Amino acid sequence: MIRWGVLGCAAFLAVPLAAQSVRSRLEGRIPSAAIPAVDSLIQFASQEGLPTEPLIQKALEGGAKHVAGPRIVAAVQVSLGQLRGARDLLVRAGDQPPVEPSEMTTVAWALRRGLPAPVVERVVAALARPPRGAALHAVADLVAHRFDPDSAAGLIIQAVHEGVPQERLLDVSAAVLQQVQRGRTRADALAIVRRELPNLPASSKSTRGNVAGARRPASPVPP
Amino acid sequence: MTVIDPRIHQVLDGELAPEAVPAELRRTVAQLAAAADLLAALPPGATASLESRVMAAIRRPAPSRARRVLRWLVTPHAIILRVRPAWSVAFAAVVAALTLFTAGPEGPELAEHEGIAQFVGRFPEAQSVHAVGTFNDWRSGSIALEDQDHDGVWRATVVLPTGTYEYMFVVDGERWVPDHLAERLVADDFGRENSIVIVRPAGR
Repeated sequence: MIRWGVLGCAAFLAVPLAAQSVRSRLEGRIPSAAIPAVDSLIQFASQEGLPTEPLIQKALEGGAKHVAGPRIVAAVQVSLGQLRGARDLLVRAGDQPPVEPSEMTTVAWALRRGLPAPVVERVVAALARPPRGAALHAVADLVAHRFDPDSAAGLIIQAVHEGVPQERLLDVSAAVLQQVQRGRTRADALAIVRRELPNLPASSKSTRGNVAGARRPASPVPP
Repeated sequence: MTVIDPRIHQVLDGELAPEAVPAELRRTVAQLAAAADLLAALPPGATASLESRVMAAIRRPAPSRARRVLRWLVTPHAIILRVRPAWSVAFAAVVAALTLFTAGPEGPELAEHEGIAQFVGRFPEAQSVHAVGTFNDWRSGSIALEDQDHDGVWRATVVLPTGTYEYMFVVDGERWVPDHLAERLVADDFGRENSIVIVRPAGR
């Protein structure tokens, strides 16, 4: 009983504290007239279990780009709608509520990149366990290069089933695009990479060389 | 062989007065007399015979060890190097392996959840270029690109937490430009397009 009481008090205090924290991030960064509306949209998201960081980022982006307050509010509202759509899609595809916030962000991103909702749903359903970000970005990369969304999704799903690890799924789409650059048709490129799975060309991830010249940003990166 | 006019010999021997010979012979006589005077004025050692010079060199004391070493060092020598190709290849392989595997890591140490993002843009007339996006709360100033060789190509390599980020370049503090080299773009809901960078674990 005492435990529930403590949890209730913590929740009671946490919501206003979080709201205060959001307001402090927005103050001075977006037109002050837009802050109440943006703040209330963020509170809605929080109450619905949606991730709030994408909304805060959208507002900060608008402020940085000197966009007028009403347009910032409208953009945040659009982002809220996308997150709701992403949550609904994840539940439809089989994820049990409460859905992971990071997955909602990933799916919203995939939809914004132009993936048709049924294709996203198919990928989510095929990959039972999160994270699915790499898979969705790999499919979106192919679709951005005018590959048929269903064929692209089919290849990435097959790659996962054949044991290609999450961190190498972007290499699958990169391998396909490499085949196209060599003059193959899209269908041939997909077929060649599919035949070679789970083998892939060397990854293009960070090397000792580019790490050596790297530096950390001057200000802390947001969570 | 040039034949010398006998009258010149006579003049040089004093048997004939110089005025008794033609003018061109008088000039020759004068030149020969000047040469004789010059030889007479040289020190005695200068006209020493070859034999005496050779003997002098033989009798000269031997140079010191230091002088010989110095002379050896400054004298060009031909060096003949005999190399077995197999050993050369093995030596090169060892050097390459030592270079690759023993060189200490330079740059920042990366945590498991961190990776590298590289930003490159061509802005020939720019005075400053910054990468601004969700990785720095859309705040300009934290990731400045540099054009170290002044060729108009601006670059930055930064450590970021792994993840997906939207960004744009801010040129000269006011012009928002998408990264045209980025493979991924997405509408920003403000009428423009953001670039997307996916930071993968560095895997070190």
